[in-house]
Amino acid sequence: MSVAAVKSRQVHPPGIGLGGLVGRVGPGTVGLVVGAILWELVGRAAGLSFFPPLSGVVERLAELTAEGKIVGNLVNSLTNLAIGFALSATVGIGLGMAMGAYRKAEMALDFYVYALLTAPTLVFAPLFFSVFGPANSRLSILGVIIMYTVFIIIVNTTSAIRNVPAPLVEMGRSYCASERQLFLRIILPAATPLIMAGLRLGMGRAVKGMINGEMFIAIVGLGQVVTAAGGRFDAEGVLAVLLVIITVAMVAVKLVQIVDRRLTGWLPSNARQRRRNA
Amino acid sequence: MIEIDRLSKTFPARADDPPVEALKDVSLEVRDGEFLTVLGPSGCGKTTLLRIIAGLETFEGGDVRVRGRSISSPGPDRAMVFQSFALLPWATVVANVAFGLELRGVPKSEREARAHELIELVGLTGFEKRLPGQLSGGMQQRVGLARALAVDPEILLMDEPFGALDEQTRRLLQEELLVIWEQSRKTVIFITHSMEEAVLLGDRVVLMSPRPGRIVDIVDVPLDRPRASAVDEMAGSAEFARITADLWRRLREMQLFRRSAREPRDPVGIGA
Repeated sequence: MSVAAVKSRQVHPPGIGLGGLVGRVGPGTVGLVVGAILWELVGRAAGLSFFPPLSGVVERLAELTAEGKIVGNLVNSLTNLAIGFALSATVGIGLGMAMGAYRKAEMALDFYVYALLTAPTLVFAPLFFSVFGPANSRLSILGVIIMYTVFIIIVNTTSAIRNVPAPLVEMGRSYCASERQLFLRIILPAATPLIMAGLRLGMGRAVKGMINGEMFIAIVGLGQVVTAAGGRFDAEGVLAVLLVIITVAMVAVKLVQIVDRRLTGWLPSNARQRRRNA
Repeated sequence: MIEIDRLSKTFPARADDPPVEALKDVSLEVRDGEFLTVLGPSGCGKTTLLRIIAGLETFEGGDVRVRGRSISSPGPDRAMVFQSFALLPWATVVANVAFGLELRGVPKSEREARAHELIELVGLTGFEKRLPGQLSGGMQQRVGLARALAVDPEILLMDEPFGALDEQTRRLLQEELLVIWEQSRKTVIFITHSMEEAVLLGDRVVLMSPRPGRIVDIVDVPLDRPRASAVDEMAGSAEFARITADLWRRLREMQLFRRSAREPRDPVGIGA
């Protein structure tokens, strides 16, 4: 394989105007474009059926879409994602707040939360499937999504509440705040940045849970399309769906980020920077 | 105004630490409209004393009365200024200053009008829409002071409010506090570990000693009021130097005594 040739080709074209390009369109876009070009070149040079170039994958994606395999399944998957994430956020924030506020709740539940956070979550898929049966496969998928998502939200919310600066709560008390005012005016806003960080991580995991669940249960959604393509050794098809899934994940995380920005715009920009780099 | 009667407070033992007797038999009367400073080494219980008066801390023995009524919780007659400023980082200067009034259910337009008055008083006009993170430490504590004054308390409780500020900012804020206090004449209890600050601001200086925290002496400060316009002459006067030197001599004895009490006479056991 002509690695040297590939290397020299990948270095030259962007090398000419890289500085100007970065200045105009931003390093993120440049990274994407370079990645796409690399994929295409390596795919063509390799000539292997299991590593098709990008153009082949995009072509296949267009075919799958035309066959009606993408849109309907995507809607199906997104519905699962939305319901699963909403339930996880509700339960996770609620339980996390209880565990952050009450030592006893934390002591009672801590073990389970960390055990299930670190457990290989996909083992729950067959469990759910045997409980709910093939007729209720959506419930099984929702169950898997929640198992993937809820614990990271609980852990973050617990530490969010625990990390509310004590002097702020003290200040509220000294100005005669009621318990309700303390919670709504001080604890909740002070905990929001960490809670949102948990939701962001949770969203990434929810997408993973959705696809893994669908692939395992293999009746519905994009997961089923991937499984079917894999069964046919259709690498272009697998990667085509993967592109869709990654796009979904990026958009979903971006949505959480937009909400985050609206709620925590008061964070100093250096704190935001630190959080993003972390 | 405030009567503190044989007050005792012990923090219970924790893990490896024995119980700490923070205050023992502390009795003190704070007069109406008085500026009282409380001075002592760290660990003498001065902040605990203030927190008890604020209603933020429980106590076992004795009684604290404000205008004859025993207190056990925070009340609208008292407002506190914190060493760490304790500003809401998500709220603008106006919202922070108005926060105490907001908690009391004062309508928005009314509390903001009041907040603007106090922002002007503490010299922060033009910074109303800023967030605390965009202000210097000195400006943040001005917000803290304005917030306390906004609820118009009878008693201002100040817990080392300038302790986290640099020397120059501290001096400026001391002067401004004098100006504001000499207009309003609220009762102030001001905790500090600085002899100069205690004498410069206070009508009387309460001197406390540690373990257990108790009052050693209450020193009258015979400097004329108003002091705000004459801070520099005053700080250079012989009277000022004499009082601060005397306070330092006694604080130093406390610290030295503490050290010799803690160290065993024969630390390495050579004599055994």
